[in-house]
Amino acid sequence: MGRYLRLLAIFYKNTLIGELEYRLGFWANLALSLFWLLWAALSVRVYFFHANDIAGWTYPELLVVMGLFFAMNGFRQLVLEPNLSLLPEYVRLGTLDYILTKPANSQFLVSLRRLGVYNWGDPLLGLGLVAYAFWRLGRAPRLADGLLFLALAAAAMVILYAFSLLLQTTTFWLVNVNEVDTLVMGLLETGRFPVSFYRGWVRVALTVVIPVAFLTTLPAQALLGRLGWLTALLAGAVAVLLFAASAAFWRFGLRYYTGASS
Amino acid sequence: MLRLARLYRALLPAARSQMLVYRAQFVLWLLSGVFPLVMLAVWLAIVDEAGPLLGWQREDFIAYYVGAAVVHQLTFSWVNWQWQDEIRTGALSTRLIKPADPAHHFISEQLSWRIFFLMLVVPAVAVAAWLSPALTFDLTPARAVGVALSVILGFALSFAMASAFGVIAFWSTQSNNLYHLWYGMGQFLSGWIAPLAMFPTALRQAARWLPFRSMLGFPTELLTGQLTAAETVAGFAVTLLWLAIFGVLYRVLWRRGLKRYEAVGA
Repeated sequence: MGRYLRLLAIFYKNTLIGELEYRLGFWANLALSLFWLLWAALSVRVYFFHANDIAGWTYPELLVVMGLFFAMNGFRQLVLEPNLSLLPEYVRLGTLDYILTKPANSQFLVSLRRLGVYNWGDPLLGLGLVAYAFWRLGRAPRLADGLLFLALAAAAMVILYAFSLLLQTTTFWLVNVNEVDTLVMGLLETGRFPVSFYRGWVRVALTVVIPVAFLTTLPAQALLGRLGWLTALLAGAVAVLLFAASAAFWRFGLRYYTGASS
Repeated sequence: MLRLARLYRALLPAARSQMLVYRAQFVLWLLSGVFPLVMLAVWLAIVDEAGPLLGWQREDFIAYYVGAAVVHQLTFSWVNWQWQDEIRTGALSTRLIKPADPAHHFISEQLSWRIFFLMLVVPAVAVAAWLSPALTFDLTPARAVGVALSVILGFALSFAMASAFGVIAFWSTQSNNLYHLWYGMGQFLSGWIAPLAMFPTALRQAARWLPFRSMLGFPTELLTGQLTAAETVAGFAVTLLWLAIFGVLYRVLWRRGLKRYEAVGA
């Protein structure tokens, strides 16, 4: 464990040094993110010209979900995208050979080697929107709800990671799956709104088949004090199961990897 | 004209076979087309609670967003990425020695995707509309021609706009970000997040004069039959005006940028 933490420290120091050479791009990205956040928050107001609440969510409550959506999307851009979306490239060019010969867990290396430093602002901006939403609601989350939220947010990050890895691992058979990242982004996009906005089989699919409900809706409900510990336990169980499944699938996929030259 | 027809007879099959190499990409592009349906879900949730909005029933929203999803896939052009990539990496140089303008290559590439889309999805939507009572478009032949024309013009405008932003890459590495900013504002005013009829009057008027509606809201409103004859004519006029503006802008920037590009000697 300590060895892996030391490795992370070295990796991220290197990425930081590399990326900080492009400071203009960094500030431009932050400005763009802020703009998107404000624009998204303003444009959903048009719904509330026509109704006071949608499926039981008022405007500030919806902003909590949207803020968490931005934070999760930021996590995707910060950690998942810079690493996992390189996997097809590794397999196609045979770079994976080098990774497999390194004396550390291969899943760890392909998952956490890099950091999209450009996008560190997004999670913070998203949480800022959540704070603004609570200011509009005129109250703060209770301590117990805050703790529940932290647990659910951690589960959400694990779930999104495991889900992405499951999809990306198919590259061992399909090779060209460059667009998996687009697909993950598209699925995450549905988490912009609470799952109760969706009806019928779409809602069932977004809860059971594709775990979008766990990504934004449940953490938001926890923060708003509408969720019990039992659901949190369920989210934790889903996270553990998905993580185990993705790790097993990764090992299974590796057996089909033959290198680029053989 | 004849030369152009001959050119596209050669370019289109080439683009088609190139597309077929990346089938998975095409399928994912199709999947990404369901995004407007997320907005549909929100509006249906509102209608379920608040009843019909300004006379719009459930069916009206369904027809609008299914139409919008199809129109968006046909009109939306992402060619700014290609301009930026080719200019930045110098891949443009190989294109420049070919006799046809690079734009023709890009256009035929995008056309080949859309031809496939037309063959796959439009019949599927037509069958769904025929079978399902929840989805109806009552199209007259004259309106069908209008819709087709507005989609073609919408694609042309989207291509010209994306190209005008794309060739900014001759001067700056931020051309894609600039286009994102511009297009992102447009998503709101195009009729994507909300049909323009749901906007307050002032916003709706502004959206009618801006270019974004021509690429989504206008063809969709024609398809669902919401426009009077006068509004139809006005919509076409606005589309043509913006097409002229961005077409000229793109060509001027392209000529200037090309001189600069040669001067760098990439």
